[in-house]
Amino acid sequence: MLDWLQFILAPQVINGLSIGVAVVLMALGLTIIFGLLDVINMAHGEFYALGAYLGYALIASGVSFWFALVFVPLLMVPIGYATERLLIRRVFHSKERHILTLLLTFGLAILLEDGLKLAFGANPLKPEQPISGASEIIGLYFPNYRLFLMAVGVLIIVAVWLTVYRTSLGAMVRAAAFDRHMAASLGVRVSHVYAGTFAFGVALAGISGVLLAPIYSVFPTMGKDFVLIAFSVVIIGGMGSIKGAVLAGLILTQIQAVSSLYISPVWTDPLLFGIMVLVLMVRPQGLFGRLGHG
Amino acid sequence: MAEHLLALRAAVMRRERVSHSTLHFFAYAFIALCLVFAAIAMATGDVFFFRLATEALIFGGLALAVDILLGYTGLLSLGQALFFGYGAYVSGLVLKEIEPSFWTAMGIVLVTATAFGAIAGIIAIRARGVYFALITFGLAQVVSKIVFNTRELGASDGIIGIPVIKTDFLLFQVDTGHAPSFFLLVLSIIVGLYFLVAYVMGTPFGRTLVAIRANESRVPFLGFHPWRYKLAAFILAANVAALSGALYPMLRGFVSPELMFFQVSGNAVIMVIIGGVGTLIGPLYGAAILTGLKSVIGTFTEHHLIVIGMLFVLSVIFFPKGLVGHARPRIERILAARGRES
Amino acid sequence: MISTDPPILSVRDLSVRFGALVAVNAVSFDAMRGHITSVIGPNGAGKSTLFNLISGAIRPSSGRVVFEGQDVTGAPPYRMLAAGLSRSFQITNLFFELSVYENLRLAAQFLEGATRALKPVSRSRLAQERVERLIEQFRLQHQAHELAGYLSHGEQRRLEIAVALACRPRVLLLDEPTQGMSHADTAETEEMIKSLAGELSILLIEHDVDLVMNLSDHVVVMHQGAKLAEGPPAEVRANPAVQAAYFGDAHHA
Repeated sequence: MLDWLQFILAPQVINGLSIGVAVVLMALGLTIIFGLLDVINMAHGEFYALGAYLGYALIASGVSFWFALVFVPLLMVPIGYATERLLIRRVFHSKERHILTLLLTFGLAILLEDGLKLAFGANPLKPEQPISGASEIIGLYFPNYRLFLMAVGVLIIVAVWLTVYRTSLGAMVRAAAFDRHMAASLGVRVSHVYAGTFAFGVALAGISGVLLAPIYSVFPTMGKDFVLIAFSVVIIGGMGSIKGAVLAGLILTQIQAVSSLYISPVWTDPLLFGIMVLVLMVRPQGLFGRLGHG
Repeated sequence: MAEHLLALRAAVMRRERVSHSTLHFFAYAFIALCLVFAAIAMATGDVFFFRLATEALIFGGLALAVDILLGYTGLLSLGQALFFGYGAYVSGLVLKEIEPSFWTAMGIVLVTATAFGAIAGIIAIRARGVYFALITFGLAQVVSKIVFNTRELGASDGIIGIPVIKTDFLLFQVDTGHAPSFFLLVLSIIVGLYFLVAYVMGTPFGRTLVAIRANESRVPFLGFHPWRYKLAAFILAANVAALSGALYPMLRGFVSPELMFFQVSGNAVIMVIIGGVGTLIGPLYGAAILTGLKSVIGTFTEHHLIVIGMLFVLSVIFFPKGLVGHARPRIERILAARGRES
Repeated sequence: MISTDPPILSVRDLSVRFGALVAVNAVSFDAMRGHITSVIGPNGAGKSTLFNLISGAIRPSSGRVVFEGQDVTGAPPYRMLAAGLSRSFQITNLFFELSVYENLRLAAQFLEGATRALKPVSRSRLAQERVERLIEQFRLQHQAHELAGYLSHGEQRRLEIAVALACRPRVLLLDEPTQGMSHADTAETEEMIKSLAGELSILLIEHDVDLVMNLSDHVVVMHQGAKLAEGPPAEVRANPAVQAAYFGDAHHA
């Protein structure tokens, strides 16, 4: 029994945790963008891939992984900002903006994916492990990079949480999410907050890309499967809820990790989807309310 | 009856006739274009483009299904390829394992797709708006993964070696291996589906779907249960997609899990938007345009998706009504003017 | 006017709670066939919630709604409509992107019944005649092909009532039909409501006290979710509790 816990369950839990942290980063970007702008960003997975490729290209050009880790999200900010201003804003006031923004970001996803293929080729690229070696925890060895990934991920999640709930910038975002007109009358420059929030969400996808590239390697469709899990997380946690994204992200990836001990990994996606469907049927609004609303 | 009421009735009937004949004008023009294409292709003895055009029509049927949901009921399905692929697999299996008969394949697809559509529909229409889009996306993604990993269904290879079939249609015999006659068969089935759906959308059932799209909250107070109508629309769309998909293995002789992938669903949405959402005939034009574009751009670069993606983004922003949606008022004016003259 | 007929609509101890808030508290009253029964009360008295309970928009926590002798408590709106009860909304609730004609035809479509489900609406005489009649009655001839969203406020309010009437209900619930209307339009609507009663039983929520007193056969006064008083208009107007709670408020407001 103890052996089972130590050698079978524990590695799954810790691996699941490292994936969970990355999924939460993706889901956070999606949920913040939805919470404020009401936009389902279908290109989120491609922004994640773009982040990974930018990181790969920077490292290949000779800079260090650490520089790329900081610089890629900074590069993603103007890209996200421009996407909001040039595309999303154009259909934002339409009555059918839910569907139109979804279609726009879907078109963007096609464009980005093929663009990455054009620039870097379709074959997977494998970046070097920035941190080598492994450490012993409870008698098991875990790759140092995975442990690092978890630590950085948790730091970012906490930073996002603090930014949204403890800073005046976050207060502006929450005010704009709660009532756009009220926020505008209080002097919040709503249009910049919108573009800025979109850029922030996209930057989060980009940093996830850089962080996960050494584990999963880099290829143009790398965002597709990953974003499906992130969508499930956002739906289960409640569209627009930060708390929901964190909790649902960690729980779902644990279910995925632990269930893979018993069922073929082919069936873990249907399992997660089944959970999502069940949650949607019982609580269509998800487990938690949306940003700015309680 | 009062004179002004007679005038009103006449005006209403004239408007309805014009709007009706405008959409059918696009349908007849589409058939004419297809026949011209067929004549040219037959004269040149081409097979490749015949097959490609047949495929475009088949995917046009899928786009028609997307338009039933998006254009009439206000539900964006991002997983309609699930039913298309379902139809393709069932048809492929029937032709290969049970009986190489056109009617058996189509019949079994129709019956089972109704059941499958009902189950998926009950799950999907619980969700509204963007949630519906995501749940259909997820449903298709998961099922396609299961199919991809199921050895009994040929896993990633799909089902190959589906036989060529010969079927009697009253006076004609159609051989699926003969490109021109199969093209004409597919054309009549897809156009037949269009006319059927167009008819249904003019019935109280169809108008109630339009009402749901416009303002679902008022519909129960008019005496209709929106859930039933949405479910029926979902099943109808599932059937249209599945019947179109059922033609695919007859054309290509194989089916693969890729038919259920998001790319296929996404392409169908692109066809609907480019051709004209809410017009039913627009999606068939969209299918022809998209297939044509891909093969033209494909001769220059393998990265045709960049161009398609860009065109799609631009058309959502600047051309949201699509080809038929934009051309319709013009044709309506012409037809209305002609109606007054005669 | 003492009627020996049984009431067409009877509400018994109807309550609904939203968490700790009791929005409607044990309200009972009867509406007589062919009469105009009005529900008045200050803002937040629970009038619209009461309508939502009767029309099936929300389910009551307790109590009963009896329509023509049938217990219809908690029946969904489409079932209430099939039973013969239709309603209009305080906040105009139309198909704004469809034409006036299409709005009415959708509402009249119910008359055709399920057997005609596969007949194109453009060939449906019954609905067509009903729509024409309503267009004339509500003076919307010149707007028949206009989109409902482009109508003036007064025209939208008229269409709102016409849509509720299209299915030929036996009971019509009107939720502040004159809301935001000009004086002329209000007077006209008053006439129209009066002409509808008789054949039709009407349940009316109104803010305009004079209009209510002129029109109603029976008035129910609500205050803070509960029934404060009911009776013929003159009696209700003279009731000191009503004057304190409602007319008092109204005069100071």
